[in-house]
Amino acid sequence: MIRFTNALIRDMKTLSRGRDWRGRSRTPRSAVAHESDQQPREFPTGWARTVSAQRARKMLQRAVLTPLTWSQTNPEIQGLDHLDTVKGPVVFVANHTSHLDTPLIIGSLPKRFSDKLAVGAAADYFFDARWRAAITALVFNAFPVERHRSRRLRSLAPFLLAKGWSLLLFPEGTRSEDGWMSPLRLGAAHLCVSNKVPIVPVVLRGTYAAMPRGRNWPLPGRPRVVVRYGPALTPEDGEGARGFNLRVGQAIARLWAEEDLGWYKSLRAQAEGRLALPTGPEAVVTGPLAAPAPSTPPAKVVSWRRTWESTRPLAPRRRPSAWQDPD
Amino acid sequence: MSRPGFVLEVDERTPALLMHEGEGFRLERLPLGSRVIYPPESLPALRDLDGEIRRALANPLGREPLHELIKAGMKLTIVFDDLSIPLPPMQTPDIRQRIIEHVLEIAAGKGVDDVELIAGNALHRRMTPAELKRTVGERVFRSFFPRHLRNHDAEDRGQLSVIGHTPHGEIVEINRRAAESDLIVYVNVSLTAMSGGPKSVSVGLASYRSLKHHHNVHTLRHSRSFNDPPNSAMHHSYDRMAGLLGDNLKIFQIETTVNNNTFPTQLNFLNKREWEWNLKDQATYLAVKRANDMLPPGRRRQIWHRTAAPYGVTSVTAGAPEEVHTVTMRNLLRQQLTELDGPSDIGIWGLPYICPYNVNSIMNPILVFSLGLGYFFNLYRGQPIVRKGGVAIFYHPVRNEFHPVHHPSYIDFFEEVLAETTDPVAIEAKFEEHFATDPWYTHLYRNSYAYHGVHPLYMWYWGAHALEHLGDVIFVGGDRKTTARMGFRTASTLDDALEMARERVGGSPSITYHHTPPLAMADVR
Repeated sequence: MIRFTNALIRDMKTLSRGRDWRGRSRTPRSAVAHESDQQPREFPTGWARTVSAQRARKMLQRAVLTPLTWSQTNPEIQGLDHLDTVKGPVVFVANHTSHLDTPLIIGSLPKRFSDKLAVGAAADYFFDARWRAAITALVFNAFPVERHRSRRLRSLAPFLLAKGWSLLLFPEGTRSEDGWMSPLRLGAAHLCVSNKVPIVPVVLRGTYAAMPRGRNWPLPGRPRVVVRYGPALTPEDGEGARGFNLRVGQAIARLWAEEDLGWYKSLRAQAEGRLALPTGPEAVVTGPLAAPAPSTPPAKVVSWRRTWESTRPLAPRRRPSAWQDPD
Repeated sequence: MSRPGFVLEVDERTPALLMHEGEGFRLERLPLGSRVIYPPESLPALRDLDGEIRRALANPLGREPLHELIKAGMKLTIVFDDLSIPLPPMQTPDIRQRIIEHVLEIAAGKGVDDVELIAGNALHRRMTPAELKRTVGERVFRSFFPRHLRNHDAEDRGQLSVIGHTPHGEIVEINRRAAESDLIVYVNVSLTAMSGGPKSVSVGLASYRSLKHHHNVHTLRHSRSFNDPPNSAMHHSYDRMAGLLGDNLKIFQIETTVNNNTFPTQLNFLNKREWEWNLKDQATYLAVKRANDMLPPGRRRQIWHRTAAPYGVTSVTAGAPEEVHTVTMRNLLRQQLTELDGPSDIGIWGLPYICPYNVNSIMNPILVFSLGLGYFFNLYRGQPIVRKGGVAIFYHPVRNEFHPVHHPSYIDFFEEVLAETTDPVAIEAKFEEHFATDPWYTHLYRNSYAYHGVHPLYMWYWGAHALEHLGDVIFVGGDRKTTARMGFRTASTLDDALEMARERVGGSPSITYHHTPPLAMADVR
């Protein structure tokens, strides 16, 4: 029996090396061009929005998901006051670096939004196995989003908006490889322009450092994470999806910089056109305002430096002092 | 749409890759930068197989339709490939059964009385009645066995007929019944590029006298490879013989190809690329691997040999042998060919539990040799996947076990001949005649279920090209004593094998793993 167990453990170790917690292996680079074009069946998610599923989800989120997330991280929620005047449905658009992002947003939103929130989740990632799809749909009220255009999935997003559901979308399309942002895809902006729905920009800082790709549990020590909500942006009459997307990008860049510069300095930097989407150490103004303008092409840096910067733990928030700092 | 074959370059994302090792398998991590040859994905099977068979028989290439060739009062002989292909045996109904039934329907409709069915087993062991029944189906078996459904006997002097001699002096001697027939219908399954075509009748129904012209060390050393007929001295000899047969006999060839669905759905992970294994595949791997490793060897073998492949038929072509075979080859290569840039210093192969000569039997060390250095090494076009002087690493336990009924002469060959020499030329010169003419071996071949006495020598010749080409051969997990008897080395792990190989090919060798089965043929540029 001991021999059997040892052999089984050995086999499991060999099998699991190079695979993630879901048992999936990344496609070797030379095999990417030969990936299967087999279309997986579309997973129905309508059941996850029934009254009983909503009740179950509310219980799971409030009794398990949020307490667990808050027990493992030290979240700081800012800008919720921007939501006071917002009426649903809206589309929350956030940067995406970690599996912590969704639980943090769900846990930090006022109930009137979190109870009526559907989360766009990658169809090829969360909906490729039925058990995973069922759990994702139940816990997060997730609906599949096709991100590679490899199949013609009919998007559920307009339907959900029409039914009064707010949406949480990550327009970068995937979690960041190194903690920095990628360009925002047009899908969310296009959806809001065509449905005349406002976007609420959200920026998460510190979640990559707390639980980057490849980790299935946050780092010990309750790392500090920040969820910062911005003012809602409404598409203007005649505004196209590209223009609107640009505005959303600028709002996200400012919210990102607010963590480093403070609210007022970030506003000034934005007004002076010195903020850009934080795509890497050389392309973002995170230091003094005298930093080079974003029009300067980002210098190429080795990948470890990008990761090094993005995994830097957020500085602990100091209590505001009544006295001005001597320096 | 099936994906084409491709060559993987192992990187840090690559999970452990599957290696067959006899009646077992394992996952192995290959060094970064190693190349892995994957076959094309399984092609879709023909949907209306019976319709395709009817179409092929009614619209043959280079021949009149079968219903016009078959006439009342004629002598009709239907010859079919024996159990050595396909591998593993296909799930019933076998494609040979379906074709033979169509042919017999036509023959019955035309009022043909004199019909014989012969298994083209050459010097292979006779098929048992159960094996014959499985191949041709209950209806055919019940109607013709035993008098008119039988195995070819290459040692029945009275039942052999000399057709003539080729310009190269090769004697063409085949089964008398076939030679005297008005029409021979040959039903083939082409599993590798060496199968089918002119080889079918000139080999399947031949005698030792005839076979020895192409089954010899010189021919096999000049067959590079024997899976590439234009560059195979063996096939040149087949062609010469087939030319003579074509001048004297009327042969209606029906050839089929199958796809790469080699393992049944419950072992589907064996058909898939490892990084595409889902949780079910991984759980199945663990369960099957653990259960398989715990089973006693005999039981394990029994289970593997009961496994039938759910092959789908991808083509049925009928007509004149040469024209039919051109089409068959095209279909076969479409399923198996993968392009590779140049050979490497080290080639790795995982040898499975089955080869053409151990169906329902034991894979003895000589068969391991012939599968590795014969069949798998020769699965190339252009040049071998290992450079001249390179090293071949095989995975197989190479147990010293033989089937006493099926392989009696193999036992003597292993114990007596290999103890003296492993040089194919010396073996051929000194021992072939004795093994080929030994009356006891002949008796067992004719009356029991033994392979012909000379067969183990042929298996050794099968690897003659590889022996000449390779600098070293290492078996991972092989029985040390048995492997040493054959002149090879063993290693406990791949790391050890690579370390041993480095002694010959240098410190940072290039490595190519030939990931098969399912079968992949390397087109090495």
